[in-house]
Amino acid sequence: MLNIIFYFQVHQPYRLKHFNVLDIGHNANMFNDKLNGQVMRKVAEKCYLPTNKLLLELIRQSEGRFKIAYSITGTAIEQFKQYSPETLDSFKKLVDTGCVEIMGETYFHSLAFLYDTNEFLDQVMMHRELMQQEFGYYTTTFRNTELIYQDRLSDLIYEVEGFKTIVTEGVDRILDWRTPLYAYKNYSKDINLLLKYYQLADDIAFRFSNRDWPEYPLTVEKFVNWIDHLTLAETGGKNLFLNLFMDYETFGEHQWASSGIFDFMRHFPKAVLAKQHLGFANPKDINHLTNYQQESLSFPEAVSWADEQRDLSAWLENDMQKNAIETLYELFTRIKQKGDPDLLRIARLLSTSDHFYYMCSKYFQDGDVHKYFSPYDSPDQAYVYYITALAELEERLLR
Amino acid sequence: MKILMFTWEFPPLISGGLGMACYGMVKALLVQGIKIDLVLPTKELVYFPLRDESDADTLPAVFLDPVLQKEFSERSFSTLSQKLEYVGISGRPESYFNLGEIKQYAVAVKRESWLTQVVTHEERELWEEMTTNLIGEEDLMRKVQEYTLRADRFAKVLDYDLIHAHDWLSYPSGMLAKQISKKPLIVHIHATEFDRAGGPGDERIHKIEHAGMTYADKVIAVSKYTAQMIMSRYRIDTGKIRIIHNAFSLPAESFHKRHRIFSGPTVLFLGRVTLQKGPDYFLDVAERVLKVHPEARFIIAGTGDMSRQVIRRSAYLRLKNRFLFTGFLNRKQVERVLQAADIYVLPSVSEPFGISPLEAMAFGITSIISKQSGVAEVVNHAFKIDYWDIDLWADTINHLIENPEKCKKMGIEGMNEVNRIQWDEAAEKIRHLYSTTLAEYIRRMSNKGE
Repeated sequence: MLNIIFYFQVHQPYRLKHFNVLDIGHNANMFNDKLNGQVMRKVAEKCYLPTNKLLLELIRQSEGRFKIAYSITGTAIEQFKQYSPETLDSFKKLVDTGCVEIMGETYFHSLAFLYDTNEFLDQVMMHRELMQQEFGYYTTTFRNTELIYQDRLSDLIYEVEGFKTIVTEGVDRILDWRTPLYAYKNYSKDINLLLKYYQLADDIAFRFSNRDWPEYPLTVEKFVNWIDHLTLAETGGKNLFLNLFMDYETFGEHQWASSGIFDFMRHFPKAVLAKQHLGFANPKDINHLTNYQQESLSFPEAVSWADEQRDLSAWLENDMQKNAIETLYELFTRIKQKGDPDLLRIARLLSTSDHFYYMCSKYFQDGDVHKYFSPYDSPDQAYVYYITALAELEERLLR
Repeated sequence: MKILMFTWEFPPLISGGLGMACYGMVKALLVQGIKIDLVLPTKELVYFPLRDESDADTLPAVFLDPVLQKEFSERSFSTLSQKLEYVGISGRPESYFNLGEIKQYAVAVKRESWLTQVVTHEERELWEEMTTNLIGEEDLMRKVQEYTLRADRFAKVLDYDLIHAHDWLSYPSGMLAKQISKKPLIVHIHATEFDRAGGPGDERIHKIEHAGMTYADKVIAVSKYTAQMIMSRYRIDTGKIRIIHNAFSLPAESFHKRHRIFSGPTVLFLGRVTLQKGPDYFLDVAERVLKVHPEARFIIAGTGDMSRQVIRRSAYLRLKNRFLFTGFLNRKQVERVLQAADIYVLPSVSEPFGISPLEAMAFGITSIISKQSGVAEVVNHAFKIDYWDIDLWADTINHLIENPEKCKKMGIEGMNEVNRIQWDEAAEKIRHLYSTTLAEYIRRMSNKGE
């Protein structure tokens, strides 16, 4: 049996204003409320609301056989409440079907794991509490920011009560000759690993509307046929997992409605369920579905799901990114010593990984993707505003 | 006496010190009864007839086209900036127009027609030199070409006794006006290409500068430093050169007030972020000082072609959130950043004059200026250091941070000193130069007549 595991990432950052040195010392709001509201309302209209409606319909039609998972950041939930409460309601309706798993992550979609273990664990717990409060859901599957993973992460997450599984990228250099279709264990065999099948996931997330792609247009028939052929390799009755992880904004925002992405999704579950040996599962289901000895995998270096390199270079490659994040985490320590909750809140909003993504100066195609998502003209500009905001934060700390 | 004046910058069209210098000078000249028709790189074909001191601030504009002028005069504007916007002044000279918007943009510089006007062999050489170098597809070059083509109209329509052109961007215009009207030309050297480029620079600009200075009747240099430069590098006849130092007039109020931004000592670089101004030296100095005084804050106020390099290097040096960038600032914002600074530095590699240290000193800020600057010739109450002596810059800043009382005292002394350097004196020298140049011209003309 091949189980398709859909997991969708739902995240919106608090974008910074074009914050100037002359704005320092006036207790000015550093965040661009207007832009953040606009983006949230736009994405809700183009993606969240229509996609939630569609997926709810599909779950009902399939009588519970179509399953999906979400990871929703704290900053997204907060902004739903501020700018689009109906979106939050529609997610709650989905969770109520029982076919939807909610996953755990850092509340602020941060890179704290790499810089400050205590802060990382704080943000993980904040997120778990928020999920319980909003959805009544106790998270047991963990997803780190941008699927960043290395062995040390599994040690930390194993120590947090309740987490049984971590999802990450199916990176070639780790998998080598292996297939990402099996459930694996971490290096110490304490916790399950699910690995994204990036070729097929990215066909939907990145290539769906690309007319230069030889496989364009991607039809349900073609895609199901590909999936069908994956299972031919496995005949021993083992339960395999095809992990299709992607940003939720794929639907209607990265791939516009006019590309046919909604029609694709509308017909996909039925075509899958028509096949005897294909089905859907949630990440948590692997605990009882896995019917074989899981091999353990070691990730000595950090991996992620970003760009061609699938490493940390989208956020932590150039000096601007490094100087910015090092300065932030130094301030974290001092803010926590002082114990000022308002400043801690701002530092946390500034810990969201998107801020460092905007400073990415990698050339090539990936750089274009970065540019598309950035509210600034250039990485240098993003850096200048960010570092100025950190100067304001420090002045408030000194006052 | 009526002057036709060409300049690329005038407030609110400012990108560097040139605009502020022209403003102070023009204002002081108006007080002395000089009438000035000012031509700026505006979007619309307008000039500014300045008659009273206040005109330097209100900028009355006149369209060359009578129909447009009628339309303009019948319109009412609620604010000055609205009016200026209408004639095409907003922000920086670089942004005054998009070439695509220009209706009258002529096909090419009319070299041939200009050359037919010349009489002597020497004149022909200078014209060839200017016109063959006023070429290129870069935005700035094309804008200068356009500005020069328009000068033709102004030179023919307006009535004036003398032409005054500031820096190379307006030399071709000045040359053209002289050729058309036969009136004397004074060119004013605020900076040469050697200063701006910090090296050989753009060959075309050198040639235009050389042609302009040689074709001019008189050349004003803003410092001895600059006079030396134009004698040695451009071989300009010493007898034609007059050194007239720039000065500084405060646009009233605003200054004595202090509004700190940072609780720690604040060190300011104010100017274009280009090789000439030495922002990279500022960065190296900051790195050294921050090792001793991490509580200090360094600000770069301005932009330029080195911005990206300096931003990235400050990150590379891990100067944290202690080395900051304001980007381009308008006048009001410049005043605000000056109110917040304790120490001002001008590490220019080559600075013909450098008006911004005077401004900083007027705000009572202790200033450290490059020895390679004209302003170092006129002030005493400032530290003067070779731009390359990074250790000495760092030691001096450390010393000032460690002795705040001394720093404050130096700032106040500097302020008192600068307040005595007024434009009136410089304007008086310029007015005198106008008179003698005009007298020589009249004598020459009447000799010819005989």
